[in-house]
Amino acid sequence: MANKRVMIIGGGLAGLSAAMRLAEMGVAVDLMSLTPVRRSHSVCAQGGINSCSDLTRQAGDSEWKHFDDTVYGGDFLQHQPPVKEMAYWGPKIIDLMDRLGVPFNRTQEGYLDRRRFGGTMYPRTAFSGATTGQQLLYALDEQVRRWETEGRVKKYEFWDFLGPILDDQGVCRGCVGQDLVSMEIRAFPADAVVIASGGCGLVFGKSTMSMVCTGSAVSRAFQAGVKYGNPEFIQVHPTAIPGADKLRLMSESARGEGGRVWVPRRPQDHREPRTIPESERFYFLEERYPAYGNLVPRDIATREIFDVCVNEGLSVEADRQCVYLDLTHIAADELTRKLGGILHIYEKFQGVDPRFTPMKIFPAVHYSMGGLWTDYERTDEGGLRHGSPRNQVTNIPRLYAIGECDYQYHGANRLGANSLLSCIFSGLFVAPGIQTLLSNEPGPAASELPATLFAAAQRKHQQAFDGFLGRGKGDGNPYLLHQELGEVMTKVATVVRRNDQLREALATVDQLHERAQRCSLSDTGRWTNQNLVFARALLDMFPIAKSILNGALQRDECRGAHYKPEFEPKHLTAQDPAEHRRQAEQWCDDFEAQNRKWLKSTIATWNHDRQQPELTYEEIDASLIPPRPRLYGLAGAEEIEQVWKERTTSSTK
Amino acid sequence: MAATSFFGRYEFFIWRLHSLTGLFPIGAYLVVHLAVNASVLSGPSTYQKNVYQIHSLESLLPIVEWLFVFLPILFHAILGVIIIRTSRPNPYRYRYASNFRYTLQRATGIIAFAFIVWHVFQMHGWFHFRPWVEHVVEPLHGAQFKPYNAASTLGVALHSPLMLTLYAIGVLSCVYHFVNGLWTMGITWGIWTSAQGQRRATRLCAILGVGLALLTGGVLYGVATVDTDAAKKIEDQMYKSRVESKDIRPNPEKVAQ
Amino acid sequence: MDAASKPDNPPRADVTLRILRQDGPGQASYWETHRVPYEREMNVVSALQKVAAQAKTVEGQNVAPVAWDCNCLEEVCGACTMLVNGRVRQACSALVDRLLEDRPDCIELAPMQKFPVVRDLVVDRSRLFRTLQKLNAWLPVDGYYDMGRGPLVSREEQEKAYPLSTCMACGCCVDACPQYNLIDEPRQDGESEEEYLARRNAQFDENFIGAFGINQVVLFNTHPTGRHTGKLRLEALLAPGGIQHCGNAQNCVRVCPKEIPLTTSIGQAGRAATIHSLQRWFDR
Ligand SMILES: Cc1cc2nc3c(=O)[nH]c(=O)nc-3n(C[C@H](O)[C@H](O)[C@H](O)COP(=O)(O)OP(=O)(O)OC[C@H]3O[C@@H](n4cnc5c(N)ncnc54)[C@H](O)[C@@H]3O)c2cc1C
Ligand code: HEM
Ligand code: HEM
Ligand code: SF4
Ligand code: F3S
Ligand code: FES
Repeated sequence: MANKRVMIIGGGLAGLSAAMRLAEMGVAVDLMSLTPVRRSHSVCAQGGINSCSDLTRQAGDSEWKHFDDTVYGGDFLQHQPPVKEMAYWGPKIIDLMDRLGVPFNRTQEGYLDRRRFGGTMYPRTAFSGATTGQQLLYALDEQVRRWETEGRVKKYEFWDFLGPILDDQGVCRGCVGQDLVSMEIRAFPADAVVIASGGCGLVFGKSTMSMVCTGSAVSRAFQAGVKYGNPEFIQVHPTAIPGADKLRLMSESARGEGGRVWVPRRPQDHREPRTIPESERFYFLEERYPAYGNLVPRDIATREIFDVCVNEGLSVEADRQCVYLDLTHIAADELTRKLGGILHIYEKFQGVDPRFTPMKIFPAVHYSMGGLWTDYERTDEGGLRHGSPRNQVTNIPRLYAIGECDYQYHGANRLGANSLLSCIFSGLFVAPGIQTLLSNEPGPAASELPATLFAAAQRKHQQAFDGFLGRGKGDGNPYLLHQELGEVMTKVATVVRRNDQLREALATVDQLHERAQRCSLSDTGRWTNQNLVFARALLDMFPIAKSILNGALQRDECRGAHYKPEFEPKHLTAQDPAEHRRQAEQWCDDFEAQNRKWLKSTIATWNHDRQQPELTYEEIDASLIPPRPRLYGLAGAEEIEQVWKERTTSSTK
Repeated sequence: MAATSFFGRYEFFIWRLHSLTGLFPIGAYLVVHLAVNASVLSGPSTYQKNVYQIHSLESLLPIVEWLFVFLPILFHAILGVIIIRTSRPNPYRYRYASNFRYTLQRATGIIAFAFIVWHVFQMHGWFHFRPWVEHVVEPLHGAQFKPYNAASTLGVALHSPLMLTLYAIGVLSCVYHFVNGLWTMGITWGIWTSAQGQRRATRLCAILGVGLALLTGGVLYGVATVDTDAAKKIEDQMYKSRVESKDIRPNPEKVAQ
Repeated sequence: MDAASKPDNPPRADVTLRILRQDGPGQASYWETHRVPYEREMNVVSALQKVAAQAKTVEGQNVAPVAWDCNCLEEVCGACTMLVNGRVRQACSALVDRLLEDRPDCIELAPMQKFPVVRDLVVDRSRLFRTLQKLNAWLPVDGYYDMGRGPLVSREEQEKAYPLSTCMACGCCVDACPQYNLIDEPRQDGESEEEYLARRNAQFDENFIGAFGINQVVLFNTHPTGRHTGKLRLEALLAPGGIQHCGNAQNCVRVCPKEIPLTTSIGQAGRAATIHSLQRWFDR
C-alpha cells in the first residue's frame, strides 16, 4: 500500500472527514478544492447536527427513532441500510466532534445543549451558536492540517476537478485537475478518487448555497459515466432572506428556538408588525399542523408558505412574496446567545434587528437530495458492513462519492440538521472501505501504471481548454445565460411542478445549452481566468439541469419535496362519517398503488451523443421500515392515519 | 530576521528587555529626573543641594550613569529604531484612536531619541574625557551644565524662548512616550487584558501623563524664572563652604567660570 | 420603515466602481472605472458580478473581467476580503447603499495590501494557513475512534471559546496591522515546487503571526485537551515572528468582522508568554 494514494475532490465536511480518517489509517491523501478548504460551503451551515442523545433517550428516543424520522421525513425514498447505519453512528460522531474541540453550546452542567429541529418530536440537534457548520468544518480542517504538517495529506487548493481518468476496463485510476491560478492542467494518478464536491444550487441561479456550488465536479463525473440518483429531489428551504445575489438562509433553528411563522390576516396590512394584534395574525403552520406546528418538515413548510403567498394572496409585501418569521416574543439576550450568528446576518444584510422586528422570509433552493449514485454492502441486521470497499462507491470502480453530492441518505426530503451528519458519516465511513480496497487488491499502484494513460488524459483536457480559449468570438454572455437558466429552473422545478411547464422548460434549457456552447469569453488569457472557469462550470450545469427537469417530468406523483398538484392525493372532504371513512380507505388504496409505481429511485445516465440524460428506476430497500402515509398529523387527516393503522396491524397479524 | 541569527533566536527575550528597559530604568529615571529638576522651583539652594547629593557619588557617578542610564537608553533607542523601521504605520487609512496613539508612540520615540542625544550633549557632554570636552564639546556649546552651579548654568542654558520651546517638545514627547508605553506594556505583559480593563488603564495612564506634563511645565517655568546672577552667588557660597568643610573636593570642571 | 420594505423607486440609476487592477504578480497596477446598474439591496459582490458580466469600462473599452474571490456571500467564509473605500473588509457584506451614504461619487476597490496580488482583487493568503501549521492550531486527540464524549465544558468557558473560534482566517486583522508586512516571495527559475514551498514557508515562519494567530493560540490553550500541547503553542508564540511583534495598534480588533476580542487574546497570550518564558528560563 506504500505508494498508493487517494485523491479527494472537495474539502467540505465530507471531504475533510474522509481525508482525516484516511490519513489516520496511514493512507496518503491528496485533497483538491476550488477554494481553500476552510472556506468550503459547509461553513454556511447554521442550525446544527442531529443524533439521539442520553437526554432524548430518556424521553423515549433511540437511534431507531432517528432512523425512522429520517426515512419518514424523506418519504421512504432512501435505501434504508445506509440511513440506519448513519443514525446509529450519530451519537458517536457528535462525541467525536466534541472531542475535536467544536464549541457546542452547553447546558449548565457542561453537557451538550440540544434544540429541536423540523420533522421530529425530540430535541436532537447539537449546535454551536448559529454557525455549527463553520465550527464543525474548522475542527476537521484543523485535524487535516495536522496531517498535512506531517506530510500525509497534500492539498491542492484553487484547483478545479476536470474529470476522472478511466483505464480500458473503465476503472478509475486518477483524475485531471486544473490550477486556477496558473491554469496548468495536470493528471493525478490515484488508487481511489473520492468526490465530495457538495451541492449544485447554482443550477437555480440564486440559492442559499455558496458560489462554488455549481455541481461542476458531479456533472463531470456524471458525464464520464457515473449514474446520478434522484435528480428531481431539490429541497427548497422555507425560510430565506430574499436578496439580489444570494438568498441567505434563515436557519430552521430560528423556529427550533421558538420562532413563529405568520402573515397578517388582512392582505398587505401596512401596520408595524408588532402592533398587529394576535387575533389578526394567521399562524398558518400552527393552525394546520397542531402537533408539529412551526417545525413541520421543510417541504411542507415551504409549500404552506408558498400557498399562503401565491394562492391566498396573503404575502406581507405587495411587490414581493414574503411572510413573517417572528422571534420578538423571546428575550433578546437569549436570542443573542443561541442565534447570534444568524440574527447578525439578517441585521447585516437587511439593516433591521430581528430581535425586535419580525423578519421577512420566503422559500429558496437549498439542498439537493439527489446526487451521484453510490453503492453499499448490507449486513444481515440491515446496517452497512464496516470496511467494505463497496460502501459509497459509484458504478465506476474506485470512484467514490460522499457528502451532499451522493444520493444516499435523504430520499425525497432531507430533515434539518441531518446533512452535516450524513456528510461526516459518509466521510468517516468511506475511509476503512478504501483502505480495504487498497490493501487487498493486487496489482500495481496507479502511479506505476503506464504514463501514457495519464498523459493522454492530460492532453485531452488540455486540448479542450486550448480549444475553448482559442475558438474566437462567440455570442452570448455566460453570466447572463446563467441568469436565464436560473430563472427557468426556479420557475418550474422548485416548489410546484407542472408537466406542461416542465416540458416547455426542457426545450428552453436545450436551447440555452446550445447557446452556452457558443458563448463568448471576455477573457482569453492563461492566468487566473475566472471567466473561462465560470463558463465551463455553466456548461456543466446543463446535464444536471436536464436531469432535474426530466426526473421531475417523469415522476407523476407527490413525494417529499417533489410536488405536482395534478397528482396530489385527494383531501378528505366528506362531512358524513361513512363517506369520510370511505375517502380515507380510498386515500390509502391510492397511496399503496402510488408506492408500487413510484417508490423507486430515479437513476439518470448521461447520453453523450444526444446530450440528454436517460432515466431508469431502481427498487428501494425498504426492508426495515415499511412505508406509511406521511401526514405529520395534518389537521383533518386523522382518519387516514386510523385506516392505515388498522391495515398494517391486520396485515402483520 | 533569520531565525538562526543571534537576534533571531533571542527575539522574544530582546523585545521583552526593550519593553522592560522602557519602564526601568529609563521611565523611572525620567520621573526622578523631572522631580529633581522640579526642585528648582523651591529656589536655587534646594536644587543645588539635590545636585550635590547626586554628585556625592563622585567617581562612581560615570559608572552609574552609563550602566543605569546611557546604556539602557541606547539599547532601548537603537532597538526602538529597528522596530520602527520594520513597521508601516497607517493612521490615515485606519483612523482609530489606538492607531493614532501607536503612530505617536513611534514618532515621539524618535523625537525623544534626538532630544536626549542633544540634551545630554548640551548639559553633560556625554563623556568626561578632557580632550573630548575641550576639542569637541565646548566648541559646540555642549556640557553647559556645571553641577556646582546647578540652577544658574541651567538657567543660562535654557535662556531663550527657542530653547524652552525645543525642551517643551522634547520633554513632552518623552512623557507621552513613557505613559503610552506604560499602557502598551500592560497589554504586552498581560496585566490588563479585557477591553474594559484596557479602557480603565487608558484613563490611569492619561492621568499619569497629565501629571508628568504639569511637572514638566513646572520645571520649565522654574528654569525660565531663575535669576541666574543671584543663583550663582548662592551656589558659589555653597561651594566654598562645602570645600572648606571638606564635604567635597574642589573640582573646577564642575564649576562655572 | 425597514430596508426590506423600502419603496422600489431606486435612489439612483447606476453605481460607479473604481477598481485597482493588476494583470499578474509583479506587474504594474492601474485604476479602472466601471459603471453598473443600481439594484436594491446590492452589495459589492453583486456589483462585481455585474462588472464581470459586462466587462466594459466607463469609457466603453472592452476589458477582461475583473478577478475576485468569493464564496459564501454571507460573511462567514472570508474569501471576498478586499479594500473597500480604502478599508479592509468583506465585499459581500459591504452594502452599496451604506457605502454611497459615506461617499456618494463612487466605490473604490483594491486588493488587500499585505498579501501578494495574484490578479486584480485576488491575493495569495497561503501565509495565513502556514501560520496555523506553525502554531499547532489543532487538538492533539488520540484518534478518530469512538472514545466517548469530550471533556465537560462549562457554559462560561464555551461562551468564551466560541467567539474566538469564529475566526475565518479572512486576514482583515493582519492587513490593517502596521506590524504585519507583505512577504512576496516569487518562485525562482529552476526551483522545484517543493524547494520553493520550503523556502517560502521558512520566510513566513520568521515573520509576524498576526492577531488571528495569537487568537488561535489562546483558543487552543484554553481548551481542556488543547492545554496538553499548550507548551508547543507557547514556544511558537515566543519564536521569531511571535507575539513580541505586536505593537498594540489595535486596528485588528476594530476591523475584525467577527468582532473577536483580539486585543484581549493578545493580552492573555502576552501574559502566558511571559510566564512561559520565565518558567523555561528557571526550569532549565
Ligand atoms: C445556508 C445553509 C445552511 C445549512 N445548514 C445546515 C444545518 O444546519 N444542518 C445540516 O445538517 N445541514 C445544513 N446545510 C446543508 C449542509 O451544509 C451541506 O449539505 C454540507 O455542508 C455539504 O458538505 P459537503 O462536504 O458535502 O460539501 P461542501 O461543504 O459544499 O464542500 C464542497 C467542496 O468541494 C469542492 N469542489 C466543488 N466543486 C469542485 C471542483 N469542480 N473541483 C474541485 N473542488 C470542488 C469545494 O471547493 C468544497 O471544498 C445547510 C446548507 C446551507 C446552504
Ligand atoms: C524617554 C525615554 C524613553 C522611555 C521612558 C521609554 C519608555 C518606553 C516604554 C515604557 C515602552 C513600552 C514598552 C512596551 O510596550 O512593552 C516603550 C516602547 C517603545 N519605545 Fe521607548 N522609551 C524611551 C525612549 C525611546 C526612544 C529614544 C526610542 C527610539 C527612538 C523608543 C522607542 C520605542 C518603541 C518603538 C517602543 C514600542 C515597542 C513596541 O511596541 O514593541 N523609546 N518605550
Ligand atoms: C525640563 C526638563 C529637563 C531638565 C531641566 C533637565 C536637566 C538636566 C540636567 C541639568 C542634566 C545634567 C545633569 C548632570 O550632568 O549632572 C541632565 C542630564 C540628563 N538628562 Fe535631563 N533634563 C530634562 C529633561 C530630561 C528628559 C525628558 C530626559 C529623558 C529621559 C532627560 C535625560 C537626561 C539624561 C539621560 C541626562 C544625563 C545623565 C545624567 O547626567 O544624570 N532629561 N538633565
Ligand atoms: S481574527 Fe477576525 S479579522 Fe482576523 S482573520 Fe480572524 S476573522 Fe479575520
Ligand atoms: S493591529 Fe497589530 S500591532 Fe497588535 S494590537 Fe493588533 S496585532
Ligand atoms: S464571500 Fe464569504 S465572506 Fe464574503
